[in-house]
Amino acid sequence: MVNKSERIPPYFVFFLVVKVQTGTGVLGFQRLIMHSAGNDAWIAVIFGGIVCLLPIWCMFNILHSHEKDLIGVHKQIFGKYIGGILSMIWIIFWLMLSIAAYMTYAEIIGTWLFPQINILPLSIVFAIVIYYAVSGGFRIIAGLCFLGVILTSFLILTIYFPIGYAQFHNLLPIWHHSIKEMAIGTKDMSLSYLGFSTMLMYYPFIDPFKKAKKWAYMGNLTTMLFYSLIMVLTIGYFTEAQIERYIWPTLNFWSSVKIPFVERFEYVGITMLMFSIVPIICLTIWAAIQGTGRLFNVKSKKITFLYLIILIAFSLSLNSREEVNSLLNFLGNAGLYLYLVYIPALYFITLIMSKRTKKGRDFHEN
Amino acid sequence: MKKSFNKRGNSSLDNVSDAITQLEKSKDFTRLLIPSEHHTGLCVSYFNTLIDIEILRRDILPYINKTSNTLEGVIHDLPLESMIFTDTPSEVQDHLLIGYISIMLADLNHKAVLIKAASKENKEFALPEVEYSIVGPKEALVESLDTNLHLIRKRLPIPELTIEELSVGSLSKTRVAILSIEGITNKENVQTTKQRIMDIHFNQIIDISYIAQMIGDNKLTPFPLYVDTERPDRLAASLAEGKVVVVAEGSPHGLIGPSTLIEQFSAFDDYFLNWVIASFFRFLRFFGALLSILITPLYVAILTYHYELIPKDLINTLVISRSEVPFPPILEALILELVIELLREAGARLPTKVGQTIGIVGGIVIGTASVEAGLTSNVLLIIVALSALASFTSPVFQLGSAIRLIRFPFILMASYIGLIGVAISFFFLLVHLLRLKSLGRPFIEPLFPLRLSDWKDALVRLPFSFQAKRPVEVQSENLMRFDEKMASDKNPVKEE
Repeated sequence: MVNKSERIPPYFVFFLVVKVQTGTGVLGFQRLIMHSAGNDAWIAVIFGGIVCLLPIWCMFNILHSHEKDLIGVHKQIFGKYIGGILSMIWIIFWLMLSIAAYMTYAEIIGTWLFPQINILPLSIVFAIVIYYAVSGGFRIIAGLCFLGVILTSFLILTIYFPIGYAQFHNLLPIWHHSIKEMAIGTKDMSLSYLGFSTMLMYYPFIDPFKKAKKWAYMGNLTTMLFYSLIMVLTIGYFTEAQIERYIWPTLNFWSSVKIPFVERFEYVGITMLMFSIVPIICLTIWAAIQGTGRLFNVKSKKITFLYLIILIAFSLSLNSREEVNSLLNFLGNAGLYLYLVYIPALYFITLIMSKRTKKGRDFHEN
Repeated sequence: MKKSFNKRGNSSLDNVSDAITQLEKSKDFTRLLIPSEHHTGLCVSYFNTLIDIEILRRDILPYINKTSNTLEGVIHDLPLESMIFTDTPSEVQDHLLIGYISIMLADLNHKAVLIKAASKENKEFALPEVEYSIVGPKEALVESLDTNLHLIRKRLPIPELTIEELSVGSLSKTRVAILSIEGITNKENVQTTKQRIMDIHFNQIIDISYIAQMIGDNKLTPFPLYVDTERPDRLAASLAEGKVVVVAEGSPHGLIGPSTLIEQFSAFDDYFLNWVIASFFRFLRFFGALLSILITPLYVAILTYHYELIPKDLINTLVISRSEVPFPPILEALILELVIELLREAGARLPTKVGQTIGIVGGIVIGTASVEAGLTSNVLLIIVALSALASFTSPVFQLGSAIRLIRFPFILMASYIGLIGVAISFFFLLVHLLRLKSLGRPFIEPLFPLRLSDWKDALVRLPFSFQAKRPVEVQSENLMRFDEKMASDKNPVKEE
């Protein structure tokens, strides 16, 4: 069991969920969704948010009935070897999520601030900071996610500037895309909502976990509201043809910010994004490290080193926009299957097992 | 008032002897047994930090060891005018705690004679020099432990104030006292402090700052993890808040723990001033610290990489001021920062009067001359001077030094990757602060873990009527300081 001083109160789940969902996705989620859903994309965003409530609900029930984290659940249901392989899939998924978050940020830095930057020293500096945070344990990560939400929340005020230029009649007519187009849009939205599966690893650190459920839902719905706000603004501010050309439309909003003492606000904004994105990298890589540590009983220090080296290696090898994009697409698809197929399946297996063993008598109450 | 702290403490006392036994837990309480020829003897008890020992030796002891076998006889024998004859236990306790001596018969324990013997050395104490305040008491701790304990006990005349004494240092045998209030201070905090002090293995403890460094939770941090103060009133207030206080022989400072980063930003003046003004000042200090850390790195970052950030009206000024300077911004900034640090260090080493002169001469002459010579830009001179000034606003000296130190890695990172470097350094600082603990309690407490109730005395200081609860940080055994309802009931005078 986790040491009592390491545990955190349940409302932090709200910040953990919001943080992990809104870091990188919010910068450039618009293009893909508007590609299929056009000016109805905001509906797809809301659908995506609602669909994500299902895996959250399943996760809570799985964790409640087993009272273990994902590694323990796998071991209990599938045994040591098959369970271990399944756990490895999740560990790799979390590791890839952290790499994707880092790559996105590194790409933004390279594109907007330092076109000629040498990526290796930058990655090493980031790796040192991440190592310092991750080695402090889960409390530090939770604190970073919380402070990340607080410190970057004021950035939402900057939407005041683009609102003045937005043409909201672009939203009309509402719902003139087919169900299929909306479904594709919803699917594409899923990547932005990913990451809350880290809950499967930090479950033992929340005390009491039962009360965390409503915070997780609220977190997910807050993210949904935030995304739909950005989406509505994007539809009003850009035309559909413009969106096709922008990789990070949210950053382009900042071009319209006019403050007397700062000429180009994008630079300030991108700098502030540090506090939004690095906590995500920390949280996802922590989940991977914690999972590996639990699976193989290895010291987390060594795994942290290994994973950070993998992170640096990836950042060196993936250097074109297409490669990063294909990584993101791959993760989006993988996430879709993991969240909407694997997690419900695991839930049903849990349900059947608990009925058979009659151990989970209070299972249905939750 | 039924829940009031004092009443509850005294209600369990049956007789005078119990009252004295309760006080005996403190190290500075003395109980003498004086044998008498005809009787079982007399029992003299007092707090040696509160009374003038001369009065006892000169005016009391020579007279009472004669033949008196009743307390009335003792009163008769003593050549003193103000004596109280009582059988109320709480009265005995209260008087002992303000500097009275109690005399009772060793076998008859329900009556006592109280004799006033409070020491009158109050006006000889030093003035606070580091933490001088315009409003409020002007008493500072001195180098003698007993006097310091006297100063604290004077402010907290309650039997629950316990003083534990330890001896630390294999050569210096320094007396170290740990103060806490029973029923308020968390026992775990007291135990941790005691354990850590007992675990010190060092030959010589010269000052309390040795102890602060040795019992710190993290030895690699530049931040002070305990508040170091020279004000006995601050120590007493912290005790009442539920914190642990450590004072040592030979040191005119006391330590307070557990402490938080935000507490380090609060000067004790904040409590003497109106809360609106105090909050404004406190806010100013936070702003000053942020400014001090960030402004030079931002100058370096923006002028090296991101000049697009500067509005076009301002860029003229900057270009003109920098056009003569042969160095890149990083070198320029490092030179000036170094000059300021040298001036500060020279000012600190020299005697006060000379030090002031050096500060003024150095500041004006070197600053103006270096701008005129074209070595630095005058904008940077303003920035560096401002950041040095801002770092001196921190009320705890150690914190100001920490702020000045952590500026340098920021500047270096800023010259390497501009704003991203500043952000990475700040992120690193955040992680560091998150990892820090003071006596095992989180160091940046009301921020993380988020404790909304502790914000009443954090960035702002709300009025005293809002301060009914002790901070959650200290995990006090008695959360309430006073009855909130009683405090808010103002009984307004009816106007005719």
